[in-house]
Amino acid sequence: QQVAFGGIRADTSQPVEVTADSLAVNQETGVATFSGNVLIGQGSMRLQAATVLVEYGQGDQSKINRLLASGGVTLVSEAEAAEAREAVYDVVKGTVVLTGDVLLTQGSNVMAGQKLSVDLRSGTGQMDGRVRTILQPGGN
Amino acid sequence: CGFTPAYGPQGGGATLLGGVAPDSPQTHDDFALVRRLSERLGPAQAPRYRLAYEIATDELGQAITPDDATTRYSLRGSARYRLHDTVTNAVLLTGEVRSFTSYSATGTPVATQAAEEDAHRRLMRILADQIVTRLLAQAGSLPQ
Amino acid sequence: QDNGAATLLADRVILTGQNQLIAEGNIEVYYGASKLTAQRVVYDAATESLRIEGPIRLEEGEGAGTLLIADQAELSRDLQNGLLTGARLVMARELQLAAARIERQEGRITTLTQVVASSCEICVTDPTPLWEIRARRVIHDADTRQLMFEGAQFRAMGVPLLYLPHLRMPDPTVERMSGLLQPRFRTTSLLGPGIKLPYFLTLGESADLTLTPYLSTGKTATLDARYRRAFDWGALELNGALTRDSIREGETRGYFFGDLNAVLPGDYRLGVDLRLVSDPSYLLNYDISDEDRLWSGIELERIRDAELIWARLGNTHSIREGESNSTSPMLGGTAQWVQVLRPAALGGELVLDWQVNAAARASTLSTDGLDDDLVPDGRDMLRASMVADWRRNWLLSGGILATAQAELAVDLIQTRSDPAYDDTTLRALPSFGVELRWPWVQTTGRAAHVIEPVAQLIWSRDTLKDAPNEDSLLTEFDEGNLFSFSRFPGGDARERGLRANLGLSWTRHDAAGWSLGVTAGRVIHAEDLGQFPTGSGLSGTRSNWLLATHLNTANGLTLSNRALFDDSFNFTRDELRLAYAGERLSIETGYLWMESNLAEGRPLDTSELMFDTSWRWAEGWSGSFGTRYDLTDNRASRAKLGLQYANECVTVDLSLSRRFTSSSSVKPETDFGVSVELAGFGGNSGARNATRRVCGR
Repeated sequence: QQVAFGGIRADTSQPVEVTADSLAVNQETGVATFSGNVLIGQGSMRLQAATVLVEYGQGDQSKINRLLASGGVTLVSEAEAAEAREAVYDVVKGTVVLTGDVLLTQGSNVMAGQKLSVDLRSGTGQMDGRVRTILQPGGN
Repeated sequence: CGFTPAYGPQGGGATLLGGVAPDSPQTHDDFALVRRLSERLGPAQAPRYRLAYEIATDELGQAITPDDATTRYSLRGSARYRLHDTVTNAVLLTGEVRSFTSYSATGTPVATQAAEEDAHRRLMRILADQIVTRLLAQAGSLPQ
Repeated sequence: QDNGAATLLADRVILTGQNQLIAEGNIEVYYGASKLTAQRVVYDAATESLRIEGPIRLEEGEGAGTLLIADQAELSRDLQNGLLTGARLVMARELQLAAARIERQEGRITTLTQVVASSCEICVTDPTPLWEIRARRVIHDADTRQLMFEGAQFRAMGVPLLYLPHLRMPDPTVERMSGLLQPRFRTTSLLGPGIKLPYFLTLGESADLTLTPYLSTGKTATLDARYRRAFDWGALELNGALTRDSIREGETRGYFFGDLNAVLPGDYRLGVDLRLVSDPSYLLNYDISDEDRLWSGIELERIRDAELIWARLGNTHSIREGESNSTSPMLGGTAQWVQVLRPAALGGELVLDWQVNAAARASTLSTDGLDDDLVPDGRDMLRASMVADWRRNWLLSGGILATAQAELAVDLIQTRSDPAYDDTTLRALPSFGVELRWPWVQTTGRAAHVIEPVAQLIWSRDTLKDAPNEDSLLTEFDEGNLFSFSRFPGGDARERGLRANLGLSWTRHDAAGWSLGVTAGRVIHAEDLGQFPTGSGLSGTRSNWLLATHLNTANGLTLSNRALFDDSFNFTRDELRLAYAGERLSIETGYLWMESNLAEGRPLDTSELMFDTSWRWAEGWSGSFGTRYDLTDNRASRAKLGLQYANECVTVDLSLSRRFTSSSSVKPETDFGVSVELAGFGGNSGARNATRRVCGR
């Protein structure tokens, strides 16, 4: 059943795959930087960005802690899509915070604001910063 | 002492003679005003100016007798005028003139009716004369 | 359910995941012409409803639409339906209805419960408004624009005055709707205290009927009616009344006035008037009109640049004391055709004025009876005239404007029942004139000055076949006919003989400052042909001096005076008018002096002072006072006093007027009127300097 403003939901237990044109790893800091059509996938959720910085867990290179995407980000789940300038996907907490001219569309409902923080597990979210919403008729 | 004949070379009034075409009359009063303007400024041959006007009159009963008969009426009138250039339609001169005439209502109804109509005609002649005098006064400022 | 999109703005929006959206902080919702502001809104997408927390402000329609203020509300997405609690509905920024609950259905019906309605400013410091209507329920229908009050109680300053189970009122946007208009109270010395209850009935788009019963304590029972009908070619208005009163016991009194104006093809204008009244004093007793000569008849006219066609035929019914409707010419008619031509050969302008004038008396006696004129009682008269008037201007050197004038007046006169005159008289009067004008102008200083001497010499024959004079008995002498060919108002008499009209006018005109116009004139006849009666100022060989002055200043003062006086300065006529229109005060005063003139039917001198003033003093208060004082009889003839208080929600009008007549049929009468108009119901006139109550700090 199509849920308007259901917030963005994703199965955070799924593995996170990252594909990109190129990857650079900085030996001292251990920080990996994907750049060029970076695509992060987890279950039905997709996150695209120009560049993504990967933060691994403390001293454990196999566990991704946080993904910092920038240069224009698009986040898509089954029915929602969100765009913004940057986004931080905290894999551990299962939250995504998009900032900078955020645009959230669900079917024909559109919401624009400056900051959107989404809890992927509960599907709840909060948009801040003079939010502008179009309430379409007919339950779309 | 600065006076010069209005219709003389420095007066500027000569351009008005035969040069002013009043707007078409709609009412009795308009007709009488336009007749007097035409008498004073001559029928317009090749008019350089167009004169627009709005006339307003109201009547005041006076001389009320003990048996409440109103035996005198004072007819008050005003006329706003605008002189336009016929080519560019620009407004060159504007103003408002005011006066009053009176008529008695002591005679028979036929006599009173004639007196009332004559009072209207006289009032329109006075307003027209005042407009012509104002135009003469400001004629110097008209583009030659 | 309208299908437009609604826009919501907020500081924060929370997505709950259960098809709900919670917006918080400076909420604004726009839908069509409606705008809502609130602090918190929960939007449920499934039910498409908004649960809103206040303070809520919902504005509908631009400008003078309705405004809803509430603490809480549950509204549909298009803001048209739902429930508001602790709400206040303000209509057209004028009428406020505070209610515990306001419910809206289909965006049309608004139901308010426990309502206090008033258009007065309600201040926190002093919550009881000047007037209010409390009601159990009020239903407003946006289509019919009516407010239905149920269980209504009218209170003034908190004191309940009137209880009405049902009350129907128009909302403030209504210009035209059937229903009760606001009552007027009228007390007169003859009819006692009474009340008028006007009821207005719209009859379709272009007609309406107003019925006004007027009842006073056992003195009068009157029904007044006004019917108006608009056509696309003109308009009709009928006014009438039927009365049984104590002034004329056992009689049915009344009046009927009918007016029709029509524009006919070929831009002719037609006017038809009808004036009937049951007895002479009715119109004064019921304050209908001051007319004492009621003309019924038909008038037709068409006016163009160079042509005037005009006809007027009708009968006058006089209700003036001592005027007979049979021995005075009451049936009268005029037909006139004026052509303005420009003869190529002659130059200048030729005006041909074709006229037919008839004046008839009901009586057929050819002898003079007891009435106060010396004319056979039944004299009738018809005059057909053609007046040709030619003028041409020449500008001479030195700025002198010369005008040549010629006039020929030909009259064919039929007279009946007057042995003193032939049955048919044909006469002609040629006149020639020359006029010289030499205006001087000086425009150097701040003001422009014009000095204009005018001299006119007119010759016409000394003699003219005698004919009855019906329309030229009331002569006037002013700047309007100083240079006319005939100073008689009509055509029955025409000015004869050699005469010179001399005049000098001086005008100072300053657009920013003050302007003054002075005109002096005199007429000198070669011979005294006894044409003009003594009191007219034109009798004898040397007329009275004519001196007219018009002064107006920038700050709203106007003074005009016209005097006729002889060489030894005794005044035949003098009319003074002084008017000052200031910000808060306006005064108009005038003095009229006229020497007695039996030929004009003025046996005594007339000396009358007129004084009218109105002023606005404190917030919303304004007063007016007016009087007419007859100095010859040393008594006031009229006096009136007015007091008005107007604020944003009420207009109270008090008027007191007295007529000091002293004649058998017209008794002196005092008229005291009160009217209270509540603002907020139906579009009010609004043309009042209402003040708005300001709540004390």
